[in-house]
Amino acid sequence: MNAPVFQAKDYKSELKPIWCPGCGDFGVLQGLYRALSSIGRPPHEVAFISGIGCSSRIPGYTTAYGFNTVHGRSLPIAQGVKLANPELLVVVAGGDGDGFSIGGGHVPHAVRRNMDLTYLVMDNQVYGLTKGQLSPTSPRGLETVTSPFGSLEEPINPLLYMLAYGAGFVAQATPADMPGMTALIEEAIRYPGFAFVNIQSPCVTFGEDDQQLKAHKAKQKSLASLGHDPSNQLAALDLARAYGTELYTGVFYRNPSPPPTYESLVKLRQTEQAKKARPRNQILDAYLQK
Amino acid sequence: MTNRQQQTPGIDFAVLTLKDALDLAVLIEEEARDRYEELAAQLVLHRTPGAAAFFAKMVRIEELHRKQLLEERAKAFGEQPVAVRREMIFDVEAPDYDEVRSDMTTREALETALRSEEKAHRFFVSVLSHVQNPEVRKLFEELRDEEVEHQDLVKKELAKLPDDDRFARVDVGDGPAPQ
Ligand SMILES: Cc1ncc(C[n+]2csc(CCOP(=O)(O)OP(=O)(O)O)c2C)c(N)n1
Ligand code: SF4
Ligand SMILES: [Mg+2]
Repeated sequence: MNAPVFQAKDYKSELKPIWCPGCGDFGVLQGLYRALSSIGRPPHEVAFISGIGCSSRIPGYTTAYGFNTVHGRSLPIAQGVKLANPELLVVVAGGDGDGFSIGGGHVPHAVRRNMDLTYLVMDNQVYGLTKGQLSPTSPRGLETVTSPFGSLEEPINPLLYMLAYGAGFVAQATPADMPGMTALIEEAIRYPGFAFVNIQSPCVTFGEDDQQLKAHKAKQKSLASLGHDPSNQLAALDLARAYGTELYTGVFYRNPSPPPTYESLVKLRQTEQAKKARPRNQILDAYLQK
Repeated sequence: MTNRQQQTPGIDFAVLTLKDALDLAVLIEEEARDRYEELAAQLVLHRTPGAAAFFAKMVRIEELHRKQLLEERAKAFGEQPVAVRREMIFDVEAPDYDEVRSDMTTREALETALRSEEKAHRFFVSVLSHVQNPEVRKLFEELRDEEVEHQDLVKKELAKLPDDDRFARVDVGDGPAPQ
């Protein structure tokens, strides 16, 4: 057996995580290092893009390129990065608040554009960084500093959203099962198109007891053990409805024939257009003819 | 899936050679050493000195075990290349990340180490039922028994601690940094 060119530790930066001891994000970070080592791309060929939140600190803890951007804007910036350099392996990381609250409007467009990005959401059902306010995935009735008498809203269901928007790869994981989560992250990165993994990553400081890793260990059920066929989109939609009640882990949906990515279509368009290059003063004519 | 399969996915203990077994044992100690180092650093950052100091001691202990195994390996197999990888093992003797808290006491840190030694013991017991090579069996039996010795050492340390070394959570309240 040959040793891999890059070991997990090669992706680990010198910066020490300031997460609360016990935070689920530590396990996610470890799983990411390992997944990258299996894939074997050197750190300089990888870019991590995040928004703002505890989970969004991931880029700083890796030796890859990283951009800890603006709250809710990781996906637009990641798409820009990927388009500017399609050879880069781009991983987007962030929280449930970052992705589905302030950044929620970007999600359907990133999905339908279908760039080869991996989007990892560390879903802790709370705003961790700002000290425990309600997030869009908080369960109904949750008492927080912004909902002292309990939340009156239904949580959104990230799995159903992603499936309904048409994502080609949708999975769920928990660091309570490190090998399973690591393998899913790797599979998502290898999927040629927009891939989403909802990682139930507990907040030990503001999260509920039934959302901690010990509860996950008892509760999680792998989709494989249920006999789920990940190419069956309708079955995936049905299983995804259990978000918030069951903790299913594994691949809900994997498009068996992934469509071309946006960046590959752009490349084709550039090649076609290069053949019929117009003089500078006629460039706008393409729009006038319509 | 059993715990053993989760901790070492893809390793077939029925055909493991002594060289691979020794290298695996070295990596198990290395993983534990690195994890204790990470946990100690987290607790230093969050100003939990008692537990941090104990984890720092565990770093030295795990490193000592690693070096002893490494010497044994060098004696038996010299410079022969290592075929097992760190990526093949998951938290065999290393405490899980969610074992620690910013307000944990020294007693809780020792209890974490005890649980980790027990976890490692269960691991060796479990793999021994699959191992066929007699030399590998002997090595893993030794390691299994050492885990019991380590548990006894931690238990002795625990007995020396005052009954209640708990402090109020507000004393260590150290929220995440705003952005
Ligand atoms: C434009 C803007 N609005 C609000 C904030 C404050 N803020 C920072 S992180 C955050 C929510 C973090 O929650 P989540 O994305 O779930 O990440 P977690 O900390 O839970 O990992 C908010 C509201 C901000 N930084 N910028
Ligand atoms: S506040 Fe919660 S999410 Fe943030 S670092 Fe602490 S445990 Fe993790
Ligand atoms: Mg959150």
